[in-house]
Amino acid sequence: MSGVCVNSMYKKFTLKITVFHCINTFNDAMTMPWGEDKEVKINFIKLPCSSMVKDVFLLRAFEAGADAVIVMVCPEGACRYVEGNLRAKRRVLWVQKVLDEIGLGGRRLTIFNVAPGDENAIVKIIEEIRDDVVALGPSPAHYVARLA
Amino acid sequence: MIVGEQKKIAEIKALVEPYRRILILGCGTCVKTCFAGGEDEVATLSSALRLALSMEGKEIAVEELTVERQCEDEFIQEAAEAISRNEAVLSLACGAGVQDIARTFPKVPVLPGVNTTFIGILEKHGLFTEECLGCGDCKLALFGSVCPIARCSKKLLNGPCGGSKNGKCEVDPAIDCAWQLIIDRLKDLGQLKSLKAYVEPKDWRRSNAGGPRKLVRQDHIV
Repeated sequence: MSGVCVNSMYKKFTLKITVFHCINTFNDAMTMPWGEDKEVKINFIKLPCSSMVKDVFLLRAFEAGADAVIVMVCPEGACRYVEGNLRAKRRVLWVQKVLDEIGLGGRRLTIFNVAPGDENAIVKIIEEIRDDVVALGPSPAHYVARLA
Repeated sequence: MIVGEQKKIAEIKALVEPYRRILILGCGTCVKTCFAGGEDEVATLSSALRLALSMEGKEIAVEELTVERQCEDEFIQEAAEAISRNEAVLSLACGAGVQDIARTFPKVPVLPGVNTTFIGILEKHGLFTEECLGCGDCKLALFGSVCPIARCSKKLLNGPCGGSKNGKCEVDPAIDCAWQLIIDRLKDLGQLKSLKAYVEPKDWRRSNAGGPRKLVRQDHIV
């Protein structure tokens, strides 16, 4: 994966993506192709179930410098804990509204259903979000701090 | 319980704008249950405020604390140290909690972060409904334990009005007709004929309309 993190409105920036994922979606045994990519830093945070993702975890990921946050959950109807993925989706929708309200933009937070072990789908999602966030530019929350 | 709703972040941001160091103080009882002011909401709001202000190049130090109840002195005192470290308190309690904190710490600005809305119940997870107006003269026994004061849009004591359709109120079809509920309940209890009795107009002086109320229990005052 090439780190095409250049948006003409901003200086070249290292894109930071935080991925919260259910361990049933994928686990440490999978090798991700962007492990050596220095232009895109991806922080994977595994959860025993996606329903463990709280509103504050998503916001704190942005506080910690993420330009985008992705939540990967099991397909609907396939959650081991019945409705964990549905609860995660509700929380993401809520936090998207908070992000819109504070001006950071709900588009920076996304949720995807991923079948267990579907490595191709995961790579495609991350590439898609990477391109989207490159177009948006760095997170205004820490872009201001970087300039200060 | 008291049901409340967190204010919009823009309003909260404007309230805390003059301060550089604030304590967001949660309340672990009613407003926690309705997701407005418990530990989780304190943490989420702190983070959202820091992010919102950082985008304007401003910094704010936010301390977080949640006490069991902000309407009782023994719990309020647990916040004393944290309050002394900050310029202002943003309270996520109901209006009673905000005022009790302000009364206990007269030199500290105490700001409300929640709009207190009603006395209600958790009908199902995520749904809270108004059930009581605190009118000071409970007549639930006459109405099969369904309150027409709080739940009938017209507050009719001698209903129904005749405007409901399929058990829903004509004022808003999302509202259950309280009088339909009263009749159904009294039918189940075999007490329908009790509705033949005329109910006298309510004495609103016992409600907040008669001015702020006080409850004195001499047996508990030393």
